Amino acid sequence: MAEKASTGSPKSLVNTSKHFTLKRSQRRTLFFFLFILPWLLGFVFFGITPLVIGFLSSLTNYDGLNLPNLRFVGLDNYARAFEDPDVGFSAVRTLIWCVVSVPIYLVVSFLLALILNQNIPGRGIFRTLFYLPSVVPLVAAVMAWRSILDKNAGMLNAVLDIFKPGIAIGWLSDYALEGMAIIATWMGLGFGMIIFLAALQNIPEEQIEAARIDGANNFQIVRHIILPLMSPVIFLQLVMGLINNFQTVQLPLILTQPATYTQGLVPPRDIYLYMIHTYIQIFSNRRYGYGNALLWILFVVVLILTAVVFWTQKYWVYSEQSSEGEKS
Amino acid sequence: MKTYTRDRFIKQFTRAMGLIILIVTTILLILPIITLFITSLKLDTEYNRYPIVWFPAVPQWVNYETVLNLARFAGAALRTVLLGIPYAIVITLSSALAGYAFARFRMPISSRLFGVVVALLIVPEMVVLIPTFIVYAQLKLTNTYWPWVLSAIAGSPFYIFLFRQFFLNFPKELEDAAEVDGCGPIRIFVQIFLPNSTAVIATVMFFAFNAVWASYLMPLIYLSDSQQLLGVVIATEFKNPRGITLTTLSMAGTVVYILPPVIAFFLAQKHILKGVIMSGIKG
Repeated sequence: MAEKASTGSPKSLVNTSKHFTLKRSQRRTLFFFLFILPWLLGFVFFGITPLVIGFLSSLTNYDGLNLPNLRFVGLDNYARAFEDPDVGFSAVRTLIWCVVSVPIYLVVSFLLALILNQNIPGRGIFRTLFYLPSVVPLVAAVMAWRSILDKNAGMLNAVLDIFKPGIAIGWLSDYALEGMAIIATWMGLGFGMIIFLAALQNIPEEQIEAARIDGANNFQIVRHIILPLMSPVIFLQLVMGLINNFQTVQLPLILTQPATYTQGLVPPRDIYLYMIHTYIQIFSNRRYGYGNALLWILFVVVLILTAVVFWTQKYWVYSEQSSEGEKS
Repeated sequence: MKTYTRDRFIKQFTRAMGLIILIVTTILLILPIITLFITSLKLDTEYNRYPIVWFPAVPQWVNYETVLNLARFAGAALRTVLLGIPYAIVITLSSALAGYAFARFRMPISSRLFGVVVALLIVPEMVVLIPTFIVYAQLKLTNTYWPWVLSAIAGSPFYIFLFRQFFLNFPKELEDAAEVDGCGPIRIFVQIFLPNSTAVIATVMFFAFNAVWASYLMPLIYLSDSQQLLGVVIATEFKNPRGITLTTLSMAGTVVYILPPVIAFFLAQKHILKGVIMSGIKG
């Protein structure tokens, strides 16, 4: 009985002292909704509505102009996606893009974080400098790398030319995927490094000291203590990296340099990614229904990946507790 | 004694190795910016010559003068600033307000709605962006800046999250005292919360302004060429009247384009990095 009373105390308090508390709590509810109203409206109109409209239009032959004679086509667009050879091709390119860029990103930023976690002079300066590329706008990053990776005028080919005259590797055309991986790593490693560094600093110093006293060398400490403790963060970064790279569209777009969105787009086949195919369906071919079906397929894949993260949450709950002390 | 010096040697050695790796990495990271700068000082004929001309015979500082006087560049820069500043102010305010509500008005509905905010951080940007474009196209709001205005008013889940985490650490007593004195929630927000959160406000303003300054896809699909923002203008490069791309001039424009976010980052890097760390553990 006593237990019941204590668990139900907030509610019973409201009920017994009606005159003052109820009024105050009502006022607080009102203010709460007033304060979140802009966000709530935005969420409904620019979050839910587009998602629903996107899904509904994926069931039709919508092309942006045929609203009066819209036809319901059921799951035809989805069936078509699985028969479209370009979808298969672009999905494979996207997977290759993930396999190339995500591990590089994880390994490089993790190693940098490990080094920066050491007591090295000037580590604060390095931390800032490493993050610097992340604040450079993507468009500018591509231009900057063009001065190095350009096939004819780039400095990388010029250096290679010294060893093997006449060489001209199309880093941004024939090998655009590799070129893009270089640019993406350059831009992303500062972020990854900062995240890993923050997680590394949560590892209790005593554990590492204890291992060292037991005679473990640096490599063993990393392998048997730091990596297991960091695995939740690494896993989270891996999944986030995959989700981000599934949607990569801006880098290949910028490399193709369309002046307007309706312009016909011919990116190099090497970087004909899934989202590029979707973008072309919608903006160049005006196949809104089909394009939205492609978007929803991607969305479902991302949802499944996210669900995997949540199901395996118990394995990385450690970082959850140490980073967010209080959970509502 | 011997093992002691050996241990010390190993420790010194690994530290030196670490330092060397860090310096090499820094050089690699800065390299594209340096080559961009060098290239921006070349003549286009020097840029296109084979074998490569490593350094310009005469640095073409005039490239910078030309690009700053170029209507296409200066106009786009001005438009981007005029859009970016109000956008940053409004989205910061609306996000702060929602963050304050989620941090301080504890009730079952509030934590459930906050769950929605966190869930929204995972939704792929593209899945929403393209149908949103279709909605705006139907409303005849493309070729206007309304998409920015409306999304600024709505706030952003990530900024709301940042503000909420920050406000959670505010001492409750301060607020209680103000409430006893008869301050309403709005006055508490304006007079107590906002003035005491300059660090977070600066961080969010930086992120928000940079979101407009660096944006490429959104202006590309929403705006016509005469209203275009700087990101798209830089990406399509400058051409002479005969349609030939002026690469080194475009690169000079890129250098100017990089400066504002980089300078702002150096000024506020401590706060910004803190915000970045929070964004990484949001999942």
